[in-house]
Amino acid sequence: MEVTGKKWRRARAYVTAMTVAALAATAGTALSGSAGASSGGTVTIGESTTLSGSIAELGQTGLQGIQLAVSDLNAHGGLLGKKIQVVSADDAATPATGASNARNFILNDHAVAMFGPIVSSVAAAEEPVVTQYKVPIFFYISNDVDLLTKDYTPYAFQVVPNTVMEPRAAADYLAHQVGKKQITIGTFAPNYSFGTSTVAGFIQALKDLHVNFKVVNQQFPPLEATNIAPYLSALVAAHPQYVFNAQFGGDLVTFSKQATQYGFFKHTKVIAMYSRFPLQSLGAHAPAGAIGFDRAPFWAAGSTGMNGAGLTAFISAFKAKYGSYPSAWAIMGYSAVQTWAFGVKKAGTFDGTKVSAALSGATVPTIRGPLNLRACDHQANVPEYVGTVASANNAKYHLRLWNSVFVAQPKDIMLTFAQSLKLRG
Amino acid sequence: MARFLTEAIGTLSDAGSLFVVAAGLTLVFGAMRVINLAHGSFYMYGAFLVTTIAGTSSGLRFWVALGLAAVVVALLGAVVQLGVVRFVVGKEPLTQLVATFAVLYILADIGLHLWGSGARSVNAPLAVSGTFTLAGAYLPVYDLVIIGLAILVGVVLWLLLSHTSLGWMIRAAVDDPELLQAGGVNLRRLHLGVFAAGALLAALAGAVVTPQISVAPGMDQSIIVSSLLVVVIGGLGSIVGTAFAALIIGIADTVGTLVDPTWASTFMYFAVIIVLVVRPWGLFGTPER
Amino acid sequence: MTTLPAADLLAAGRDAGGSPWAGRLRRAALPLAFFVAVLVLGLTMAPANVLELQYAVSLALFAVATNLMLGFGGLVSFGQGVFYGVGAYTVSLGWMHQSLSFSEAMILAPFLGAALAVPLGMIALRTRRLYFALLTLALSQLAYVIAENQTNFTGGTNGVFGAMVPSWLLVPRNSFLLTLAIVTVSLAILWKVLHSPFGLVLRGIRDNRERVEALGVNVYAHELAAFVISGFFCAVAGTLFVVYSQSSYPEIVDWTASGIPVFMAVIGGMYTFFGPVVGAFVYEFANHYLIEYTQDWQLVIGVVLLAIVLLRPDGLAGSLSAIGERWRRRRDRVPAGPPPAPLPPEGGAS
Repeated sequence: MEVTGKKWRRARAYVTAMTVAALAATAGTALSGSAGASSGGTVTIGESTTLSGSIAELGQTGLQGIQLAVSDLNAHGGLLGKKIQVVSADDAATPATGASNARNFILNDHAVAMFGPIVSSVAAAEEPVVTQYKVPIFFYISNDVDLLTKDYTPYAFQVVPNTVMEPRAAADYLAHQVGKKQITIGTFAPNYSFGTSTVAGFIQALKDLHVNFKVVNQQFPPLEATNIAPYLSALVAAHPQYVFNAQFGGDLVTFSKQATQYGFFKHTKVIAMYSRFPLQSLGAHAPAGAIGFDRAPFWAAGSTGMNGAGLTAFISAFKAKYGSYPSAWAIMGYSAVQTWAFGVKKAGTFDGTKVSAALSGATVPTIRGPLNLRACDHQANVPEYVGTVASANNAKYHLRLWNSVFVAQPKDIMLTFAQSLKLRG
Repeated sequence: MARFLTEAIGTLSDAGSLFVVAAGLTLVFGAMRVINLAHGSFYMYGAFLVTTIAGTSSGLRFWVALGLAAVVVALLGAVVQLGVVRFVVGKEPLTQLVATFAVLYILADIGLHLWGSGARSVNAPLAVSGTFTLAGAYLPVYDLVIIGLAILVGVVLWLLLSHTSLGWMIRAAVDDPELLQAGGVNLRRLHLGVFAAGALLAALAGAVVTPQISVAPGMDQSIIVSSLLVVVIGGLGSIVGTAFAALIIGIADTVGTLVDPTWASTFMYFAVIIVLVVRPWGLFGTPER
Repeated sequence: MTTLPAADLLAAGRDAGGSPWAGRLRRAALPLAFFVAVLVLGLTMAPANVLELQYAVSLALFAVATNLMLGFGGLVSFGQGVFYGVGAYTVSLGWMHQSLSFSEAMILAPFLGAALAVPLGMIALRTRRLYFALLTLALSQLAYVIAENQTNFTGGTNGVFGAMVPSWLLVPRNSFLLTLAIVTVSLAILWKVLHSPFGLVLRGIRDNRERVEALGVNVYAHELAAFVISGFFCAVAGTLFVVYSQSSYPEIVDWTASGIPVFMAVIGGMYTFFGPVVGAFVYEFANHYLIEYTQDWQLVIGVVLLAIVLLRPDGLAGSLSAIGERWRRRRDRVPAGPPPAPLPPEGGAS
């Protein structure tokens, strides 16, 4: 009986988080004092993301990744002699608020770069703003393929697998499991561009892989719906053998708990973003045997796309500082800042147009390994990770994780250059 | 059959919790001729209080939390009645709507301070968290708890209102307050009691659905819209009408998702419009003076 | 439309008082001063603040158009966001579907708003008082779920964002001047409407429906006309939202969005023409300012609304005229008379 999702958000909380590294006061500055003496000052980057509601975990840990990256940069003397500070604000998962945050950061705080929101619809609303003011934006969570195709702007970069790549990886994993067998499928996804785009990507991928399937039910509850009961009972009633669920964060946790009450996981295999947070929240109730996918799981460290210099140091620093292993969002946020910093150093300026041009086609060393931002659409060549939710705690990390990790290689899941251009229209 | 049962139980459980909230709203209107938009806040506070009191327990503590939350919110309701609502009884609808909307805003803000802006959840007690099978359908036991509560509330309210002197007093409070006061009834105290009872029902509904939803700010505004639709369809002030209307809204919602998901959420609004075009005072209501 | 109002209705309207020209000038002085002040501010402030001022100006029209029904017709509508949304979405969807140019959409939008107001008004006006308020609220939510779910047509939850206004309007000063011009003309028309015989009948209906009905006036037709005129100008205000934000999204039509012009009218004073204008400026600047410095915007607006409806139902305009009255009495050394009536008769500018 959900009517509206997020009306209270009118109270756009404007939270400013200053992250000038505390380390600056220590001996480090004294030693490197001469290096930055000539320029000095600070430069601001903006992070507008969702910090409230059921998906807030993504925004909060993503912001932690950004802040850690910035304090690491500042500890090494900043960029072009300037210290970096982060301003952040809650967009309440509302496009209009995200666009207004972006405008505020750029006009009032003079932000020289923006770091992306969680929600793709918010990202789409921010694109015209950053284009108008010529400021680069780095999407590290929002991943709708439209962001770099239909809504293409030279100022946008995506360091996260998009809504074609991610469901392709999941479909590939599923195809190996089911072979030629006929299966019935249901889908469940939040009702906005990311949800519809990911579901469409999954269905298309199954077709491309010649899986013998039939879609029996599709539900699109609102993002952050408090009550999904009507949608869930419709899905349960249709009795699908497999369900592709594109919810994430707290929404996926609620789905899993509710579906358990229907005994749903006994008969249906759910494919969903079972990443660190949902698995940790569900604990012993995590649905063993379900298929999880994740964009940068820390437990895949060592495999392709999770083997850059400094990754293990980052994981332990993050755990020491925030008390838990980093989410994929934190890892991707960290690498997004590294990407921007690389562009600034290469361009020798903070100017948005020059930084964007310097990054186009560049290969950037990050904690995830080298990321290539291909010139045609600025999509980074990142893999996607898939696995089966384990029935017992992982011996090393003492968390309920996956049995094994399958890495879908970028070359197998990315759109070709021509396909991307075609989507741009 | 299994498919029908799954949908039917879900619909009944949804209509049930909606009925309990809306019954509180319509009860207050029946006695005081006030539509209280802050009723949604009572629902949200009920839910948040359960998350605070029950924590992660899956046992007896949940039931204690349920009762305690309802009582605390009833007290909050009494405060709102004494502080605000009693001044708008008998005033223009606009004054009542704006004043109670202001209370909704104020309570929403206080709620943010108390519970933060994130979402919370609780577990159903183990005894009622499982699944039962009926004609091949797997169904949540907890839905039966909600349906049971709705039936209990409906029966108790019906008995109270039509078979006791209290019910007579509540009706007379609007129709003939002078007579009532001449008979020695303290109208103020009656209003206070009814308003607190209305808040209690909202909190009870908010509390009982916690294991099935994610508890988050914004619940107050979304539930008040649904419950307004229910009381308008049913006819303001009518408990029987509210019960029918909650079922109509529940069914409209379910049928909507089956017919065409993109239009599903509009069905209940069309239900309201059709009912009001045919009967501008709702199914069981009376034309306004 | 219907029979002209009976003579006693005209007489019931407020006597202009004294020499007509002096009265007219006195009435026009304050709004004129206000207009000049806004114009000067808009031409001198920093671009970011100009945008904020422009938004407040457009909201002033939304509030006055809503108050046409609320304060003058006695019709509490929580559904004017529907027409605001029609205005905004006509421009943004015209752009998205490449079917309307900006100027075509700007001209078409108010007529679409008025056209939609005919059937909706016919439905809503069958109900009275509280049922009317709740039915219009339901209409607003219906518009919201349609905007949210008809993704292919409306852009869905994502809304529509993009370069939908001509590039000259991206310069804050230009868009401010356009907004101010459109709002000024619209307000002048609304003023004329409310001070015509039609406006008098409308106020008559508000004050004593039965009596007006007994005089043979078609109340339903008058109320429907008010609904349609309001729909027209709410849609104009909606187009100006796009000029301000270059976007449209479902949240601009939901019931809380529909409540905002009502609150503005209540804050500013719904029994005067310019009260809602004052309310719009106070509300929007308080909102903008408070959000920067406190997270407790909802608390503040809640307390203010509560204080006004409980203590001063005639709003800021009412308070101001009461203060002015007291000042005039002191100046004229007239001993303080009885306090002003809670519902001041419709008068000139606040």
